[in-house]
Amino acid sequence: MNIAAPTNIIDLGMLADEARRQRHGTRTTFVRVADVASTPGAALAWSPAAGELRIVGTPSSRSAAVERVREVAAGARGVPVSAFSLADLEQLAARESATLRSILEELRAAGLDLVAEAPFDQLRDPRGSIEEVNISGLALARLTIHQLPSAEVPSLLKEVADLQRRVAVVRAFAPLPRVLNSALPTTGYDDVKRVALARLIVENVPSIQVDWARYGPKLAQVALTVGADDVDGVSAEDETTEGRRRAPLEEIRRNIRAAGQEPVERNGRFEPLVR
Amino acid sequence: MTIDRIADRVRAAERLNAADALDLYRRAPTALLGQLADIVRARKHPDPVVTYIIDRNVNYTNVCVAKCNFCAFYRPVGSPEGYVLGFDELFRKIDETIAVGGVQLLLQGGHNPDLPLTWYEDLFRAIKERYPSFKLHALSPPEVIHLSRLSQLPVPAVIDRLIAAGLDSIPGGGAEILVDRVRALLHCDGKATANEWLGVMRDAHRAGLRTTATMMYGTVETDEERLEHLLRLRALQDETGGFTAFITWSYQPDHTELAGHEATGIEYLRTLAVARIVLDNFDNVQASWVTQGGKVGQLSLAYGANDMGSVMIEENVVRAAGASYCMDEVEIVRNIEDAGFLAKRRDMQYRILGDPMFREREVPRMLELATARADGDHSTPAELRLYPARSGAGKKMRAGEILPS
Repeated sequence: MNIAAPTNIIDLGMLADEARRQRHGTRTTFVRVADVASTPGAALAWSPAAGELRIVGTPSSRSAAVERVREVAAGARGVPVSAFSLADLEQLAARESATLRSILEELRAAGLDLVAEAPFDQLRDPRGSIEEVNISGLALARLTIHQLPSAEVPSLLKEVADLQRRVAVVRAFAPLPRVLNSALPTTGYDDVKRVALARLIVENVPSIQVDWARYGPKLAQVALTVGADDVDGVSAEDETTEGRRRAPLEEIRRNIRAAGQEPVERNGRFEPLVR
Repeated sequence: MTIDRIADRVRAAERLNAADALDLYRRAPTALLGQLADIVRARKHPDPVVTYIIDRNVNYTNVCVAKCNFCAFYRPVGSPEGYVLGFDELFRKIDETIAVGGVQLLLQGGHNPDLPLTWYEDLFRAIKERYPSFKLHALSPPEVIHLSRLSQLPVPAVIDRLIAAGLDSIPGGGAEILVDRVRALLHCDGKATANEWLGVMRDAHRAGLRTTATMMYGTVETDEERLEHLLRLRALQDETGGFTAFITWSYQPDHTELAGHEATGIEYLRTLAVARIVLDNFDNVQASWVTQGGKVGQLSLAYGANDMGSVMIEENVVRAAGASYCMDEVEIVRNIEDAGFLAKRRDMQYRILGDPMFREREVPRMLELATARADGDHSTPAELRLYPARSGAGKKMRAGEILPS
């Protein structure tokens, strides 16, 4: 496929959907996430429905990161704990004159299961750092794109595929940018093309992921029809003021089914959950 | 018939019957629906142009006796939150609209028993006197029926009087689903039955007005009833040819009595695509970015839409029900061009007016849609006292027994 050529967006989406179906059939996974602040001593409260406890924010120091992971893991009751951006951990290691591996091993010993994200376009050493995650006994929850102009997407996707050929441990790739520019948001066409091209080019990563909270139900649902097979960032709250039918769990299931697919809830380790 | 066979019929420009349309709606893959809708769009619009209009969506009153259970906008007669916009407020809104290149008001409101037909006539005349070339796309069929009942005049006579006062065209609001079983469940059969809604449009077309047609789906109707709605519009369009465009949107449930949940984005794209295929005698199909957001709004252009609707400038009804998207002209044009089309300004009749206004002169950016009034402003326009009120609350207000807040 000539990925640089302009392509009818529906034809492109159909190609990506076919690739996704060959790998996953109609199965679409989703994870309910409870975000937890990274400051040690901050409140520890989350919904029991969470399939992943995610410590969000930049760690102020190695000791603060370890302490916070220990606090959250102590109350996790088997729910996988993810934390931090791998790029932030690279910087922390440089700042504290430590090796990345030593920090990762200490976090793992404190109870961490997964590094929450690895922003490909922000990592100093994508291959080396992701390998350190693996060697230290942790998993990477997702490879992400922090912020990138659309014109550069095809070449970047090829680089992501090349990276995976070398490291082979990336389970999920979220191709839509994490940083949203409210003054110049990406368009629907932009997003659909990115997701579809990601599925077609990064064929060696099992899951193409879309973030429910960040992109909203409408775009995220469309993404499921053009190559995405996994939904991240579904709220773990069970009830809303509008009633149970409007709660996140019912909403995500309804949207996946309305896209012609079968919802399967998973945890942060990609293990199916039966509730 | 197989989906492939039905798809072949669409490709061959054959008209679909109800059964085929329903099969397609229920069973065709979403991408196939998009491909077919795009074929129909390209057949009608061979040039890669997507249009939009710069107009302002103004709701002159939120006081309404219809009490539709899907509406979060209305306030009952006597409510302290009820409002009626004054002529001067409306003139100011028109000035602001003209300043950004706008050419018309989309003017709709509640069924306020204290606004007689003469209020509308005086308003329209005053607007036309001040702004002779400015267009009034105003009063949906249920509002026309409401005025017919208030004035005890037949609908054609009301339409004639409104045209004489300055009405240019009629928006297709209030159609919801044109099936009376659905309308009864939505408590909107009282404001207009399906036949009454279609009858106003027929009368308007006969009087020489062009109108739009709409469909709000996702409440209590079945798939068959959505198709019945489309087929009834198609039949009237065969008869009169008076509809310029079709617009569909999903029910917005927040803060409504009916509540429930909103139909999904994929359901919107499927519904839009099927509408484009079934309504083979409609030239124009609009994207509803105001309910679907800019991203799905833009994707609508791949599912049969050839028009991005209005810049709107102001919006009250959908916002009251939980949706608050905003796209100014710059953003609409960016989305059109990003999808590979040429962006052109148009009027209500879909005549091309030109290239984007902001490329011709400086136009202020608009990052949030305005509202009818600032929060807490429930003032009463002075000229209202010139018109007889019908409700008890309205009579007291105009007699000065209730002071405007």
